[in-house]
Amino acid sequence: MRRSLSYGAAVIVGALLGLGSALWIAGLWPEGRKLAFGDVDVGGWRSDFAVGSEAADPYTRARVARHGLLALAKTEAVYFTRALDDTGAPLREACTYRLSGGPMPAGWWSVTLYDAASMLPANTDNALSIDAEQAGAGTWEAIIAPERPGNGAAWISSREAGTFDLTLRLYMPEPALLAEPEQRLDPPRIARLSCEGRP
Amino acid sequence: MKTWVGPLVVLLVCAAAVHALTLHLAPGFIMDRAMAALEARGVALHAFTTPNRVTPQSQSIVRSSPDLYYSLCRFDLDRPDASLTVRMAAWPDYQSLSFFDVRTDNFVVLRGTGKAVAVRLLPPGSAPAAGAIVSPTARGVILIRRLAPDAERFAAAGEAGKGDACDLVLQPAGTGP
Repeated sequence: MRRSLSYGAAVIVGALLGLGSALWIAGLWPEGRKLAFGDVDVGGWRSDFAVGSEAADPYTRARVARHGLLALAKTEAVYFTRALDDTGAPLREACTYRLSGGPMPAGWWSVTLYDAASMLPANTDNALSIDAEQAGAGTWEAIIAPERPGNGAAWISSREAGTFDLTLRLYMPEPALLAEPEQRLDPPRIARLSCEGRP
Repeated sequence: MKTWVGPLVVLLVCAAAVHALTLHLAPGFIMDRAMAALEARGVALHAFTTPNRVTPQSQSIVRSSPDLYYSLCRFDLDRPDASLTVRMAAWPDYQSLSFFDVRTDNFVVLRGTGKAVAVRLLPPGSAPAAGAIVSPTARGVILIRRLAPDAERFAAAGEAGKGDACDLVLQPAGTGP
């Protein structure tokens, strides 16, 4: 009897460990958990070029199914995500940031803000992203803040975002970017300007 | 032999098996839920659905871009005599036609900037044919993306989308339309 109980307990505990570890490593549990996944890191912007392809490992496949469903394969688009500012602190709604960068090695690009659940923040500001057309040629910058900046600068609203991250989409990426991302991508900078109104 | 060795082995084997099984099943499970959610939101089977512009209030897929027009068609080619005729109408800017299986793999993407694209989608196991794609799984999703970063161009993309098609054809796959 005691022997049967110990085997039964082993099955239950083993199954729970297997389930929990798989969900945890793949970033599926607990809800909203941030995961430093990916095989590419350019200035803190992380990507996995296996996204959307059969080559994706089981962890990437599971995570992408949850956080990047219907993402394109890398020959058509690559996606970089960053959840930290230039000092390494998490991006927060309570802070104001300056996002800046230069030309991107792609036919079209955008930077979009998502909340911890990978959804657009629940605001009505109509200021969810900056894209190549808004940015124009050369260097560009945008202010990330919960309120519209007074100086007419490009704005990405973080209102109702809580702790958030940014996704950089690069459509029609140049082949050189796929071959040497660290050399070919000039990663956008995220400078924290203030938090709760204080520098 | 120590009495705890047997249960420990069982625990480790169970943990490894459930770990692997969870990872194997998770994408399909999530895709199933996503397809059910798309159906609940009116995304049709075998037809492209005219989308609303992506906003915080209308979004249904994680990490959708507010700068793109997305039109979805769910498909189910469970019958061997079923196929799909898929057409992406012309659009002057970037657009693509992408196919996803139930494992979330993007098994084909066709770019169509400035032009229309037409192709047939055949059920799994079909013989390759000119102008046709064989789907790895019977069910999946087809997605048209069009670059439309403002309301005016989104409305224009909607007009262009009236020429899109995702039509089920019930006949031997090799004798297509």
